[in-house]
Amino acid sequence: METPPCSDPERALAERTAAVDSLVECAAADLLWPACPAGIAVLAVGGYGRRQLFPYSDVDLLLLVESTRVAECVREPVSAFLRTLWDAGLRLSHSVRTPAECAELHEQNIELNISLLDQRFLAGDRGLYAAFAERLPRFLRAQHEPLIRNLARLARERHAKYQNSYLHLEPNIKETPGGLRDYQLLRWLAQLRDAEAPPLDGAFRFLARLRCFLHCRAGRDYNALTFEAQDEAAAEWQATGPAEWMRDYFRNAREVYRAAVRELESSEARASSLFVQFRDWRTRLSNADFTVSRERVYLRVPHSLDSDPELALRLFQFVARHGIRPFAETAARLADALPRLSDWFAEPQPVWPALREILSLPHAPLAVASMHETGVLRAIFPEMAGIDCRVVRDFYHRYTVDEHTLVALGVLANPCDQRYADLLSEIDDPAPLLCALLFHDVGKARGNGDHVAASLDLAMPALARIQMPPPEQELVRFLIASHLEMSAAMQARDLEDPATARDMAARVETVERLKALTLLTYADISAVNPTAMTPWRAEVLWRLYTATYHELTRELETARIPSAVSGFTAGFPVRYARTHTPAQIAAHLALDETRRQRGIAVEIERLPAAFRLTLVTDDRPFLFASVAGTLSSFGMNILKAEAFSNQQGTVLDTFTFADPHRTLELNPTEVDRLRATLERVVLGRQDVRQLLAHRPKPARVRVPASVSFDSQASASATLIEIVAQDRPGLLYDLASAISSQGCNIEVVLIDTEAHKAIDVFYVTAGGRKLSEDQIAALGQKLQHACGA
Amino acid sequence: MKKIEAVIQPFKLDEVKEALMGIGVDGMTITEVRGHGRQKGHKEVYRGREYNVDLLPKIKLELVVSDARAEEVVKTLTGAARTGKIGDGKVFVYEVAEAIRIRNDDRGDSAL
Repeated sequence: METPPCSDPERALAERTAAVDSLVECAAADLLWPACPAGIAVLAVGGYGRRQLFPYSDVDLLLLVESTRVAECVREPVSAFLRTLWDAGLRLSHSVRTPAECAELHEQNIELNISLLDQRFLAGDRGLYAAFAERLPRFLRAQHEPLIRNLARLARERHAKYQNSYLHLEPNIKETPGGLRDYQLLRWLAQLRDAEAPPLDGAFRFLARLRCFLHCRAGRDYNALTFEAQDEAAAEWQATGPAEWMRDYFRNAREVYRAAVRELESSEARASSLFVQFRDWRTRLSNADFTVSRERVYLRVPHSLDSDPELALRLFQFVARHGIRPFAETAARLADALPRLSDWFAEPQPVWPALREILSLPHAPLAVASMHETGVLRAIFPEMAGIDCRVVRDFYHRYTVDEHTLVALGVLANPCDQRYADLLSEIDDPAPLLCALLFHDVGKARGNGDHVAASLDLAMPALARIQMPPPEQELVRFLIASHLEMSAAMQARDLEDPATARDMAARVETVERLKALTLLTYADISAVNPTAMTPWRAEVLWRLYTATYHELTRELETARIPSAVSGFTAGFPVRYARTHTPAQIAAHLALDETRRQRGIAVEIERLPAAFRLTLVTDDRPFLFASVAGTLSSFGMNILKAEAFSNQQGTVLDTFTFADPHRTLELNPTEVDRLRATLERVVLGRQDVRQLLAHRPKPARVRVPASVSFDSQASASATLIEIVAQDRPGLLYDLASAISSQGCNIEVVLIDTEAHKAIDVFYVTAGGRKLSEDQIAALGQKLQHACGA
Repeated sequence: MKKIEAVIQPFKLDEVKEALMGIGVDGMTITEVRGHGRQKGHKEVYRGREYNVDLLPKIKLELVVSDARAEEVVKTLTGAARTGKIGDGKVFVYEVAEAIRIRNDDRGDSAL
C-alpha cells in the first residue's frame, strides 16, 4: 500500500484508515459473506477502531461470531479472508469472539477488554453487532473499577520501565512516559469514567506527526527516536537544530505525561479506602491561605496572588512541609499569574529566607519540582529558563539538564548510601547546598564547553537579587565553581598519595565546605543516569572524602596564621581566618580591646535557634573546662565549640549552645547573670565545681565511647579524637580530665550530631607532645569521663 | 590470539586508554572491580566508626589481540599503568581459542 505524506498526520491517519476499511470490506464481500451470510460481523478495534492507523501500524480486527458453533463452521472462509488481507500487505492481528466472551473481564489480558473501547462496525451481521453494542456499555459500567485498576497498573509498570521520566535522550515515542500510549491512556480513563479527557490536541498532533515520520523513515512500525532520527526530524520540522527541536518534543511529552500522572494518581486514590481516611485526616492541614482536599493543596483565594506574590512562596513552603502537591486548578492559576510574578521577582527582593525554608523542609525536592512544573521557579530565576528540557548529547547523561538537576535534589534529600546520609545529617544548613545544586549546571544552556564559569555568571547575580547573605553566597559560589573537582580527582588522582588529600584540602579549606562538596558530587554523579553511582564509585568518593577530612583535621593545629598578620589573630589556626567573616574578626578585635582593660571579654548573642558565647581572655589551666562547666550549670546544652590560642597566650573560645528550658529566652536578666558568673569563674573568683554540685546526675550512657590518640598528625601536639554519647556536662568532664593531667588544650573543635558528641582536642604537656605514659593515663581518664 | 587482562589503578585508566589507542588498539572492556594483592587494605576510623577498606577500588581491563601484537600491547599497557609504587596492579595473558563477530560470523583475527 502507498504511504500517505507525513506532514499532515490527521489526514494521513484518516486516509490510511479509509483505505484499509475498503480493503477489508472488499475481502469480506468476496470471501466471507458468500460462505456465511449471517452470524458473523467484522469490527475494527484498537487504533484502527478509532480511525488512527499510522503508516505501518498493525491492523486490529475483531471477528464477532454468534456462537462457538458458528466459529467452527466459518473457519475456512475466515482464514481465506485473513490470508487475502495479509497478501495485500496488512500486518493483521485478529481475534474471534462471541458477544459473551467480549463481555467477560480478562484480568490476565486486559488489553483485550480495553481494545473494545475503540470498537467500530465494519461489515457483516448488523443484528449481531447491535446486540453486542447494547451489551458492551453495561459491561463497561459494571466492570469499570477493575478495568481502571488494571489499566493504571499496566501504565505504572510501563512508566517504571522508563524510570518514570519522559526525559530520555532517545525516547520511544509510543511507550516512553508522555508518549502516544499515555495520550491514549487518558482517553480510555475518561471513557471508563464517563468524563471528559484533558484537551491535549497540540501534543497529540505533534506526536502523531512524529510517529508518521518515523514510520515512513524506517518503512516499518518503528517508534524509537534515535539521535539520527532526531537530526532528520529537526530538518523536517525546519527547527534550528536537533537539540532545539528535542525541547519541543519534551514540552509536548511533558504535557501528556503530567496529565497522565494526574489521572493515574486520582484513579489510585479513589481505589484505596485507607487512603480516603488518610486524605480526610490530611484536610486538617488546611489554614488561612490553603485548603487541602483529595491530597492536593488549593489556594483559598486564588486572585490574591495578584496583590500578594509571596503567596506563591508560601504555597511551596506548604508543599515542602507536607509533601502535598498543588491541585491542577491551582497550578493553572499560578500559570496565569506568572507574568506578574516574574515582574515582582525581577526586582531585588528578600526572597532568600522563604526559599531557604523551602529548601530546608523535608519535601524540598517535591516543592522544587512543583515550582519547576508550574513555571514559578523560572519566574523567580529566569536564569533557569535556558536548561528547561535542555538536551546534552553524550553516552552518559540519560536526562535533560533540568531533569538531572531535579533528580540530583531528590538524591541529596535521601541518599541511599548510609555513609552519605550520615554526612548529610552533619550539615547545619543544607539550604545553600541545595541552592548550589539548583544552579550548578545552568551554564549548560550556553553550550560552549566551560559550563562552570557560565553557571557562575548566571547564578551570582540571581543570588544577589534574592538577597542571600554574603557568607552563604560565597559557599554557593565555591560549590558551583568546584563541582567537578572531586569527580576529576576520583578519576585522575592516586587516592593513596598524600598529595591528593593535601591538594583537595587546600581547595576546600574547611571541613564544612568539604562535606558540602562531597554531597554535591555524590548527588551530581548519581543523577547522570540510574546506574551511574555504582557502589564502586561511592567507595572511591568516600575514600577521597575521608583522606581530605583527615588532612584538614591534621592541619588544624599545624597551619597557623603567620605573625606578619595583625597581632591578635596571628598564631591562630588558619581555620580561624577561613571560617570567620571580616565583620566577625573586627568584633573579636574589639573584644580583645576589652580583655586588655578588664582581663576578660564575654559576649552572648542570640542566633535563630541557639545562642553563641564568645570569650576572649588570657590562657590559664582549666579555662576551657570552667566555661563548659558554667554553661552546663545553667542547664545549657553545648552544640559546638571552638578554642583557639595565639602565641601571646590569648585565647578565643566560642560556644554555640541550645537553651532547652528556655531560661535565657524567658528571663532576660539570666543572660547578665550568666555573663557575670562566667567572668567570676574564669578569673578564679568562683569554683565551677560548686555550681555543678546542684545539677542532676546525667543518665547512664548506652553507646560505647571511642577515644583515639594520634601523635603523628601534628608537629607539636597530640591529637585526641573522642566520639561519645552526648550528655549535659560531658564537655566539662572531658576538658577537666585533660587539664587535671597537666595537659594544655591548644585547639578544640566540638560538634554534636543526634545525641553523639564528636570532639577533637590538640593537647600538649610542658609544650611538647604527650609521652606514651601520659597517653595511657589520660586515655583511661577520658574513657571514664565518657562513661560517667 | 591472546586475551590480555589487566588490573590497574583507577587513576591510570585514561593514560592507559590513550597509550593503547596510540598504538591502534581501541577495543576493550572495562569493569570497576575491588580487590587486593600484596597491597593489603586496612581498617579506617572515621568519627568513631570503623570502615573496612581491605578491598581497594581497581579497574579491570580486558582486550583480545592477535598473537603478533600481544607483546607490544602488554608493554604499552604496563608502561602507561606504572607508577613504581605498590598497588600498580597486574597483567595476565591467556590463549584464546576462537573469536566470532556475532553480526556477520567473522572468525579469528578478522573478528577482533
